[in-house]
Amino acid sequence: MIITKPTCTIDGQKFEFTAGESMLEVARRNDIAIPTLCHDPRLDPAGACRSCLVEIEGQRRLLPSCATKATDGASFQTKSERVEKHRKTLFSLYLTDHADEDSEGGQHRGAPNKLAGASKKFGAENWGKLTNLRDEIAGDRSADVNPYIQYDSDLCILCAKCTRYCDEVEAVSAITLVGRGSETAIATPDSRSLLDTTCELCGGCVAVCPTGAMGEKKPKTRNQPIESELKKVRTTCNYCGVGCQFDFNVDPDGRDGLGEVVKVTSPDATPNQNMDLPAGFSGVSSDGNLCVKGRFGYDFVHHEERLTTPLVRGADGDLHPATWDEAFDAAIAGLEKVSAKYGDDSLAFVSSARCTIEENFLVQKVSRVAFGTNNVHQCAAT
Amino acid sequence: MSITGGRAPKDASRREQQRRKQGELPDRLQAAGGMVPEAAAKVATATGSSEAAAFGVASFYSLLARPDKKVRVCTGLSCRMKGADEVLEAALAAGLDAEGCSCLAACDTPPAVLKDRVTLPEVTALDMAATKGDWTALASSSHRVQATATGITWTGDVGPADAAPDSLSINLLGEANYEGAGLAKAAELGAGTDDADAFFQELENSGLQGRGGAGFPAHIKWRAVAGQPVQERFVVLNADEGEPGTFKDRELMMRRPDLVIEGLAIAARAVGADTIYLYLRGEFQVPRVCLEDAIAAFEAAGLLTGLDFHIHEGQGSYICGEETALLEALEGKRGMPRLKPPFPVEVGLWGKPTLIHNVETIACVPGILARGGAAFRAQGRDEAGAKLYCVSGHVARPGTYELPLGVTLDELVEAAGGYVGELKAFCPGGASAGFLPASERTRPLDYKSLGEVGSMLGSAGVVVLNDTVDMRWACLEQLRFFEDESCGQCAPCRIGTRYLREAVDRDVAGTCQSNGDRALTHVDDVAWQMGEGSICGLGQIAALPLTSARKYFPGDFQD
Ligand SMILES: Cc1cc2nc3c(=O)[nH]c(=O)nc-3n(C[C@H](O)[C@H](O)[C@H](O)COP(=O)(O)O)c2cc1C
Ligand code: SF4
Ligand code: SF4
Ligand code: SF4
Ligand code: FES
Ligand code: FES
Repeated sequence: MIITKPTCTIDGQKFEFTAGESMLEVARRNDIAIPTLCHDPRLDPAGACRSCLVEIEGQRRLLPSCATKATDGASFQTKSERVEKHRKTLFSLYLTDHADEDSEGGQHRGAPNKLAGASKKFGAENWGKLTNLRDEIAGDRSADVNPYIQYDSDLCILCAKCTRYCDEVEAVSAITLVGRGSETAIATPDSRSLLDTTCELCGGCVAVCPTGAMGEKKPKTRNQPIESELKKVRTTCNYCGVGCQFDFNVDPDGRDGLGEVVKVTSPDATPNQNMDLPAGFSGVSSDGNLCVKGRFGYDFVHHEERLTTPLVRGADGDLHPATWDEAFDAAIAGLEKVSAKYGDDSLAFVSSARCTIEENFLVQKVSRVAFGTNNVHQCAAT
Repeated sequence: MSITGGRAPKDASRREQQRRKQGELPDRLQAAGGMVPEAAAKVATATGSSEAAAFGVASFYSLLARPDKKVRVCTGLSCRMKGADEVLEAALAAGLDAEGCSCLAACDTPPAVLKDRVTLPEVTALDMAATKGDWTALASSSHRVQATATGITWTGDVGPADAAPDSLSINLLGEANYEGAGLAKAAELGAGTDDADAFFQELENSGLQGRGGAGFPAHIKWRAVAGQPVQERFVVLNADEGEPGTFKDRELMMRRPDLVIEGLAIAARAVGADTIYLYLRGEFQVPRVCLEDAIAAFEAAGLLTGLDFHIHEGQGSYICGEETALLEALEGKRGMPRLKPPFPVEVGLWGKPTLIHNVETIACVPGILARGGAAFRAQGRDEAGAKLYCVSGHVARPGTYELPLGVTLDELVEAAGGYVGELKAFCPGGASAGFLPASERTRPLDYKSLGEVGSMLGSAGVVVLNDTVDMRWACLEQLRFFEDESCGQCAPCRIGTRYLREAVDRDVAGTCQSNGDRALTHVDDVAWQMGEGSICGLGQIAALPLTSARKYFPGDFQD
């Protein structure tokens, strides 16, 4: 039996797809660009921003490719005159309802604004200005004392990615759409500070926001350069053993040219061809999700009190800088002394929650094999 | 007030039970006093939903979002043409905490005023002054209003008085009947059995089209729901009647609730549903009592065994008349329309197959069965059945008139006692149908003919405007309505409705856009985008009042 894969036609060209894929997914997999603002592979499609509408043969209306499954034999256009006019007029409306790119809110938060790029690309025009009452609806966000997240309603395009992320991925539901119609905004219950809600300050809402409306406070208060001028350095979070991947965003001019970590962004699990990985793998277990520590707790990196070398307590009772070898020797000597005097089971090993599974494995080796005791524990195990 | 959530089948998972409990959110928010501090936290605990979700819901619905407003004056076109502005002024002058609101489905008795949740007809500035600032003292001095044991009742004018009963599908002046002849006939034709073809065929023969706006053939939806593999199904009555100029469902529920309940029972039996939700707009307190009485009467006659009726009150939102927004509201969420497809017949309430119909569509069903599909079809002209037309504005006797589907405006207005003044324009089907000029007065008012001129019959809410009306002013009223009632989830409608209203405001003021362009330079592009890009019918047609008024009455605009 020959199993043929279903195919659909995009802009006149035939492509195979796997049942269940959306039209957007098939198009993107084949390098056919379709603009999106409210789409995120981690979320149920909302079809709300209308950026990704395509013209499907046999359908009267333009339909959102993010929310429409590809079907065998379907044919659709991503570049027809109708679709082009749609994009131009849609982005014109967005632009008309949006703070100017160079206005205060636009620049100083340093987040990339997908809307600005798309507007330029599709020849959108600004058709005047609209009355914006979103601040009245959302409540005064400047009063929110949380240290990390700030919502600027004049940049918000109400794509609801932030609220859907908070609900569908974080399962926290700290924020919601409030009001309706042109007076819709994003708010917390009774417009309280995020600190007084169920919010875990994971920053996911910031990460998914396409415009920077849900933004970080720190770049703004510190007047940092915009994200595109920062260098990204991929690393693994060392706060816990989960091993989330993220990118340190480094300002190359920071600390007098030494470079300074000014922000953390989180890559999603898009398959990565640049790394030596099996096809379809990204090497990113965290899929763009972080917790408050990984996302916002990076100030320690350049902290003046941060330890940069091992310390060994001397006979004088003070801590003195040492090499790793000296430090290990001191530790081994101390442990052996105790076990020689009181027996193997007088020792117990507790490893840190910040250790990875491999490190924990090594700790129990040290405990059982090197010191012959089963007194081993990991602090996150209970 | 009773709390109506969704009841899950006994074997449903805990998660499903939980999900359905969320259906109680709007009712519980109402009981908690609306959007007042800490209300969201309280109801969230009771329903197991998040506090943010509860807060978002409370802020969406106007009756919940501003609970302190106990007096609301309709600022719809028909009411404003009859002095609603002065009534609102008088209310504020009397010291009442009043605000304007969208059409109250009482355009035949203008100006209409909402007192808490009860709609009062023909309220005057004097009535407002007489309150001396105490909203509970507000009463309409209209001759229509009668006191009852539970509150008040009133009805509008209906006709034609001299119609032969055989020519009518509903007969608003007929006697209520609780014998269930339609139900019996449905059973005889095999409704609800594996051999129901004769039943569906009868429905198809009748040519019944949905009376809620779209005119979609009813039998297709019934067959689709009955044929779904999923066994749990629902029937939903759409009694949200919010289209400006429309009030027929209100009149029908008050005068012939028997037809509505019997129709619902037939529908439930035919599609295999045992739970029926009646979604009434919250302002329909008086019709609600009539329906409850009718349910009790049929129950007493033993005709509703195994059927569960839930009445759900809307909380102030026109968009919840859109069928998928209505389902969201029933599920206790913000009333934002869903993407279609899938359609409710397949994925409806709580994801189950759902048959949803307008009040009038449902009320046609018992008669179709009792008298036969062919007889129903013959009551219309090119399209099937007699139709309830609502007529308001500049006519002698505004009211609900049951006439053959496809009468002309002239015929309809003749039934309503004639024009007042010289006809200039009319909305054939509520605000959503835009405006047509007087020259269309002889066009059949049916789904097809009106569709041909880019308008629609919609809900058959006909608003007549004479030559004293400035069409720019009239269009501004409609634009304001759509701006207020847009759900806001999609950009073309959320931004477009505000843009258009502000553009026309600028045209009135004689000012330019902020970028120097003339006030109306971009409105056609905005209208195009709204038509193409919007998710639901509201946004898709919300520009029509402006585009049609500019097309037919360019002289009424500066730009
Ligand atoms: C914005 C909007 C508002 C609507 N309002 C109502 C309404 O108030 N009552 C109603 O019956 N249908 C309304 N509809 C139509 C419903 O979506 C749906 O088509 C109807 O309830 C189906 O019933 P029918 O087949 O009996 O017409 C509305 C549609 C839209 C797009
Ligand atoms: S920081 Fe995380 S938990 Fe808090 S609102 Fe944003 S997404 Fe929700
Ligand atoms: S804050 Fe950002 S993510 Fe949230 S709705 Fe606004 S634009 Fe979308
Ligand atoms: S068209 Fe308007 S009412 Fe309909 S879904 Fe979009 S915003 Fe909501
Ligand atoms: S990305 Fe498809 S509608 Fe927003
Ligand atoms: S009730 Fe006032 S316009 Fe309908």
